[in-house]
Amino acid sequence: MELRNKRRAGAVGLAVLALVATGCRGGDSGGEAGGVDAPGVTSEPCPEAVNEDNGCIYLGTISDLTQGPFAPLGVPITEAQEAFWARVNEEGGIGGYDIDVTEYVRDNLYNPETHAQVYNEIEPDVLALAQTLGSPTTLAILSQMENNDVVGAPASWTSLWGFEDNILESGASYCVEGMNVVDYFVENEGIASVMAVGYPGDFGGDAAAGAEIAAGERNIDFTNVETAPGQEAQAGAISQIVRENPDLVLLSVGPTETAVIVGQAAAQGYTGQFVGTAPTWNPALLQSPAAPALEQLFVHSGPWGSFSSDTDGHAAMREAIGEVDQPNDGYTSGWAWSYPLKAALEEWLEGDYDKTRAGLVEAIGNLETVDFEGMLPEEAGDRTGENDIFKQTVLSDVDPEAAAGLTIREDFFTGPTAEAYEFEGACFEG
Amino acid sequence: MEQLLESLVRGLGTGSVYALLALAFVIIYKATTVISFAQPAFMLTGAVITSYVTPAIGVLAITGLSFFVSVTIAAILTAGVALVVERLAIRPMVGKAVFTVAIITIGIDIAVRVVVNGFIGLGARPIGFPWGLDRVELLGLDVQIRHLVMMGTVAVVVAALFWFFQRTRWGLAMRAAAFDQEAAMTQGVSVGGVFALSWGMAGALAAIAGSLLATGAGVDRQLWLVALVALPAIILGGLDSLEGAVVGGLAVGVVESLVGTYQRDFAPWLGDNFAVVSPYVLMLVVLLAKPYGIFGTAEVRRV
Repeated sequence: MELRNKRRAGAVGLAVLALVATGCRGGDSGGEAGGVDAPGVTSEPCPEAVNEDNGCIYLGTISDLTQGPFAPLGVPITEAQEAFWARVNEEGGIGGYDIDVTEYVRDNLYNPETHAQVYNEIEPDVLALAQTLGSPTTLAILSQMENNDVVGAPASWTSLWGFEDNILESGASYCVEGMNVVDYFVENEGIASVMAVGYPGDFGGDAAAGAEIAAGERNIDFTNVETAPGQEAQAGAISQIVRENPDLVLLSVGPTETAVIVGQAAAQGYTGQFVGTAPTWNPALLQSPAAPALEQLFVHSGPWGSFSSDTDGHAAMREAIGEVDQPNDGYTSGWAWSYPLKAALEEWLEGDYDKTRAGLVEAIGNLETVDFEGMLPEEAGDRTGENDIFKQTVLSDVDPEAAAGLTIREDFFTGPTAEAYEFEGACFEG
Repeated sequence: MEQLLESLVRGLGTGSVYALLALAFVIIYKATTVISFAQPAFMLTGAVITSYVTPAIGVLAITGLSFFVSVTIAAILTAGVALVVERLAIRPMVGKAVFTVAIITIGIDIAVRVVVNGFIGLGARPIGFPWGLDRVELLGLDVQIRHLVMMGTVAVVVAALFWFFQRTRWGLAMRAAAFDQEAAMTQGVSVGGVFALSWGMAGALAAIAGSLLATGAGVDRQLWLVALVALPAIILGGLDSLEGAVVGGLAVGVVESLVGTYQRDFAPWLGDNFAVVSPYVLMLVVLLAKPYGIFGTAEVRRV
């Protein structure tokens, strides 16, 4: 009997300890923080808080930071987002809270399984995701995000995000880029054929789908060529470009593959037009053997202006990140992607919403505009309509004198195909 | 016909680099019976060192000299890194299961690459190759200079290797150790020294291969993936054959190039990326006919 009592006392003790431990978790403030009852929100100040009197909102970051193919973008995206939220904190924070994006940063190695694993690790301790890098990786956690009412800013531009309430996308998708690029070059250069060359999946596939839709509308020839990552894996694509000699090649590959394809196709006599979607460019390409061909034949299409563009947002970004070894549009993207989440947190904390994650999702659905400080038009943040797809693209020329090697050729524009197109789902469904 | 021959030259160029990588794998395997999966990291290390050294010695104005001097320095330094790794992580595992050592080399590969990635930065690093993507006309063919350099380099390296193994004391020691380690030890051969030398040589070969590969678009974090193509090359050539490594590397390069050029015309149902798969298909076809590879030693078991 005595033994049983001891066991019972031990069990009660363990239960109490468990309750105390649960109550102590940073993620469960239980209404302690000004009525906010959401994981990742505490009345305690952030570690190394700028505003000691503020509570803390923890945002997670899942990025490609070391070994994955997009680490050259993931690292500056993450650095820019740290700078963005540091600036928010220096300006007083949001609704009595500082924002911490440094405590829960995880590397996804650009692997969906790793992405899901680290998401599960940090989910109980964060309110939302300041960054979830990649389309296939984010797809791996999307249903969990919906179940947990977790919202996230993506680091990718697939057209699927326009239909997902938990993804706070910014800028036009690859699909819209594909449409606008074809329209622009039909109208301005009179092209009669387009070839999409890209990775298999929702990066290359989404851009190719947009180009195909526009080519159909414009009644011009369209070819799609999938190519694998890797410098020495481009022989087939190069051979196809040189042999078919399309007027326009729309590239959706990594920067190194861009250099190989453009450089070697030009060396084999191709003189047509290359356009690369957002992630194809890296200013380091100007030091590659393909630089002369890139300067002559390559135009970049993107969701916003490059690093050195003249907007308040770009200027704030440059000032916040300070001197960097190599200006890179990963910084630009990380900064631009952060504005909608900032607007959402303001709306949630200052508006009449449940102070839960579900309340944050509801607040996001009511955003009519987002102040991108000029990096994007305010209507790019509209999430109220039935069809709130942003359809404007920026084209940039290669410019060795510009900070990240690009200067704007055509500022935000929408071609007639995208303008008329009724988006009813993702352009690419793999 | 012209297109076929040009595709063949491209294949021999990249195949030469595969041959260097395959040689590196085989040298370690012959000495230690371990396949070192750390070779991709050494390949990346060598390319990154070349990318730093070439501009630093850019005063050597003679065309190509600064590049080749840089590659030589990179090969020596990478060999040094490989020696250190061998001494610290591999030598203590002598006598342990081959599988265990192979797993350790995977860990070494990841660790070294993470460190080296830090030196690459946010983009591709230019390698300082003086001819870029320039082409020359050779026997009526339009040929990239870099592919000719690759072929020339591998010819020199292979000749040097065969001389080393046939004519030097250490080469003889390595052959003896590869044949029978215990018998070699009884004859005074330092098996530990042979292990170290094999790692050093493999590191140097990988460094040269990485530097040559990066002449197309510079050094980026994904360059190491190319080293994996050397695996089908060594399997089809014969895991323990230096000649097989060279033949296997060249064969893989040529098949990859020809498939890349013609497959979409003749077999479009295979999809757009069959060239990437072709080395493995070639390997399977060869193994069906020659289970130990073209030049591999058949294993005899008495029961």
